[in-house]
Amino acid sequence: MRTLKTLVAAAVAVTLLAGCGGGEASPGASGDASSAPAGGSGDTLVVYTNSNGEGRGEWWTAKAAESGFKIEIVGAGGADATNKLIAEKNNPIADVAFGLNNMYFSQIQAEDALEAYEPSWAGEVDKELGDGETYWPLVKQAILLGYNSDKISADNAPQDWTDLWTKDEFKDRYERVTGLGTATAQLVFAGILSRYQDDSGDLGVSDEGWEQVEQYFQNGSPAVAKTDLFARIASGEVDMGQMPSSIIAEREKSFNVNVETVIPSVGVPLAVEQIALVKGTEKKEQAQKFIDWFGSAEVQGEFAQQFNAMPVNKEAEAQANPEVVDFFADLKQQDIDWDFVQENMGAWVEKIELEYMT
Amino acid sequence: MSSTAVRAMVRSPFVLIVGAVLTWFIAAFLVWPNINVLIATFFPDGSFSGRAAEKLFSSQRAMKALGNSFLLAVALSITVNLVGVFIVLVTHYFRIRGSRILFLGYASTFIYGGIVLAAGYKFIYGDKGIVTSLLVKMFPGMDPAWFSGFFAVLVVMTFATTTNHMLFVANALKGVDYQTIEAARNLGASTWTILRRIVLPMLKPTLFAVTILSFLTGLGALSAPQVLGGRDFQTITPMILTFTNSPTSRDLAALLAVILGLATILMLAVMSRLEKGGTYFSVSKVSSALQKQDITNPVANVVVHAVAYLLFAVYTLPVVLIVLYSFADGAAIQTGELAFGSLTLENYERVLTQPSGLRPFTVSVVYSALAAVIAVGGLLFVARLLQKYKNWVASVFEYLLHIPWILPSALLALGLIISYDHPNPLVGGAVLTGTTVILLIAFVTVKIPFTLRMLKASFASVNSSLEEAAAIMGAKTLYVFRRILLPLVLPAAAAITALNFNSLLDDYDTAIFLAHPLVQPLGLVIKANTDGAEGVDGVANTFVYTVLLMVITGVTMYLVYGRSSREKSRKKRLPAVPPASQVPGSGIPGTPVSGEDAAQPAAPVR
Repeated sequence: MRTLKTLVAAAVAVTLLAGCGGGEASPGASGDASSAPAGGSGDTLVVYTNSNGEGRGEWWTAKAAESGFKIEIVGAGGADATNKLIAEKNNPIADVAFGLNNMYFSQIQAEDALEAYEPSWAGEVDKELGDGETYWPLVKQAILLGYNSDKISADNAPQDWTDLWTKDEFKDRYERVTGLGTATAQLVFAGILSRYQDDSGDLGVSDEGWEQVEQYFQNGSPAVAKTDLFARIASGEVDMGQMPSSIIAEREKSFNVNVETVIPSVGVPLAVEQIALVKGTEKKEQAQKFIDWFGSAEVQGEFAQQFNAMPVNKEAEAQANPEVVDFFADLKQQDIDWDFVQENMGAWVEKIELEYMT
Repeated sequence: MSSTAVRAMVRSPFVLIVGAVLTWFIAAFLVWPNINVLIATFFPDGSFSGRAAEKLFSSQRAMKALGNSFLLAVALSITVNLVGVFIVLVTHYFRIRGSRILFLGYASTFIYGGIVLAAGYKFIYGDKGIVTSLLVKMFPGMDPAWFSGFFAVLVVMTFATTTNHMLFVANALKGVDYQTIEAARNLGASTWTILRRIVLPMLKPTLFAVTILSFLTGLGALSAPQVLGGRDFQTITPMILTFTNSPTSRDLAALLAVILGLATILMLAVMSRLEKGGTYFSVSKVSSALQKQDITNPVANVVVHAVAYLLFAVYTLPVVLIVLYSFADGAAIQTGELAFGSLTLENYERVLTQPSGLRPFTVSVVYSALAAVIAVGGLLFVARLLQKYKNWVASVFEYLLHIPWILPSALLALGLIISYDHPNPLVGGAVLTGTTVILLIAFVTVKIPFTLRMLKASFASVNSSLEEAAAIMGAKTLYVFRRILLPLVLPAAAAITALNFNSLLDDYDTAIFLAHPLVQPLGLVIKANTDGAEGVDGVANTFVYTVLLMVITGVTMYLVYGRSSREKSRKKRLPAVPPASQVPGSGIPGTPVSGEDAAQPAAPVR
């Protein structure tokens, strides 16, 4: 017994020591990437993203390496990545950021942490989806209201978000959020509140608009931490809720449910993932080349094919999954005044968290 | 009186050196960054506005959540003490059959916590849980959703946070002088009287310290209310986290955090006051080690045994289910349906064959170990001085060292970034952002308050006459510290180090802002693989990481505890040494000092 303990202790000590060595020599030890501590100079580009889950981070790293770019991806949630980029603006560590949507990037841009750059593929994308100067669109994502189609027929399904709380049959049958920290939740509210724009109202929204928010929270079934909406649909707890378009197919399969989506007459909000150059990077030229490569039709097409994404780059569409392309072709995009939304979102989130979420 | 103490204090070179280092550290890493971040939050345009307070106090939801947090904190301070003291007595004081197995069951909280622990309890008592299904079969009329709200949160958090009792109260109990107990018994005192009048009073400093921790845990409750609180019992922490993430609402987050922080400091002040002036060590000339007590009343004996084993089941069931579910697919975990045939190794394969491989584990182990050792090593000196010198200077230092308890770790991290993203004379003109050091600094600072509290409590139970005897014989300050005090607080210090290490392993809040891009710790990888919005595998991955972390923390605790039990057995085989005891009571010159050092050939006392 005692020998065993000694062995375990020795093994752990050795691991720790090896770890120490690794820690000390870490910049050199990670692949061949040579990098000084100060933000990874050398050849490695430091890339911040919130879009690294489900193997996407690894996929990009490998693809980039094939084309001669050494990148190190730092993953963080959308809000975290945004705060990090803003906090670090005096001495930036990242060279490039991608994956954040226009709302996040406009916050970062407002703090003057991005550098203007026009990528070589700027002509292949709809400039309106970005700001046409610093951040450029990559991938489209629709923010949808989905319902259990095994239980509810298309005729009986809600026609719009507002039906959820105005029609009795949907009350308590939809999942409502318990926090506004996620981009998806914020976009749902952007879609609802911007319909009630009123300069004389509180935070630019009419009383009727706030009434909708109140009703949304009063009549919905609160989301449960670490339990996916699809799991709750499968168990019959709720029948509908918010969902980004890209996850639907995969979750339907995992939880063995069928989901259809609602296209309100005003259209659906689109989240557009973007890419931008970080201001103050020491590897500007290389970072620009990387952005040119990253958003090119060929690379975006491959990505779309691999991850069922909807590329913004028109020439990349051909390579994307035809079903996805068709879905977006039929989709009516809601006309949202993004400047208005961006200006007010912080205050809206605060007001909703303090006054309406129960 | 206090001014003389201050004058006496500054005469010692030991105090001066520790004081200088401490002053620099507090100024550079506790005060300056946090003042910066608070100024940036409360005075965004250079002028103060009462906006945050106004918004918060007019929000019904914020006030209710705040109230809930306080309610939980107060309730938890009581319930954790009740359960904690009970399990400590059952495993260390009374003679209970199978107490070693009981100990292992109760110790399961050492190795896991957070959202997965709450989920584990939900698998058992939730509306589709095992126990609930059984109960519904027995009582068809009962509400399957019985386990929710304040009651459920309190139960889960009570059982989840007895770790500090198991480590520190048990440790203090070992130091109780058995002779006093025997004397009391000879005078006719009952088991209950002995417990109440002799044993518990000796545990006071430790009980005060763990009560503060329970209070703090209640105030900061996050995952248990989220999973089990339902509509009616939500706490303030989720709101603080949301507001911390939104630059325009950060003042609200900071204000809420400061309110919670001040409450904690108030609690600290009350406890310090209660603790003052007591004698918490054995004063008998020759003390001896505690022996387990029989419960003489047969009815009481049966009841205690029954409750002990019931608690054992409560503690161990969630762990068993979490391990089982970590082999199930994500959909099964979320719908609560477990089929034994469908358990596979797929989850583990997916997590362990990622391209990043074991590197994040290594990075986290190294960072956590360094931070844990630095925090405990440094604070050993500080806690000793704060315990010895009780005057206003010491109090100021002590309260300053609790700053990390006031602010959420994301704000601490932001403070470090905005303070050290340019050459700063406080750190010799270096730029810290983007280096591997800044995360280590943050890790050390967040662990300071806990480490200090527990170390101070453990110094409080050391008999000061030992030190005086050594000093009279001419031992230097450092020698006394190294050869007399250190061995006595070492078991507690080792436990604190282990707990610090365990809690830093999966840190995300600090690491996300401060980690070097090429040296990313485990927390970031876990987050990327477990985020709710990132696929069905996410939830399964959470369970796998929890089990993997259980293994690492289990090994850590085993090393700490395996070691001490080995030494105990060695002492038993050395009849020449007086019975092992945490509190050697002999002040007679020439007698070898017992304790951990006694096992080594006694060095001649100079």
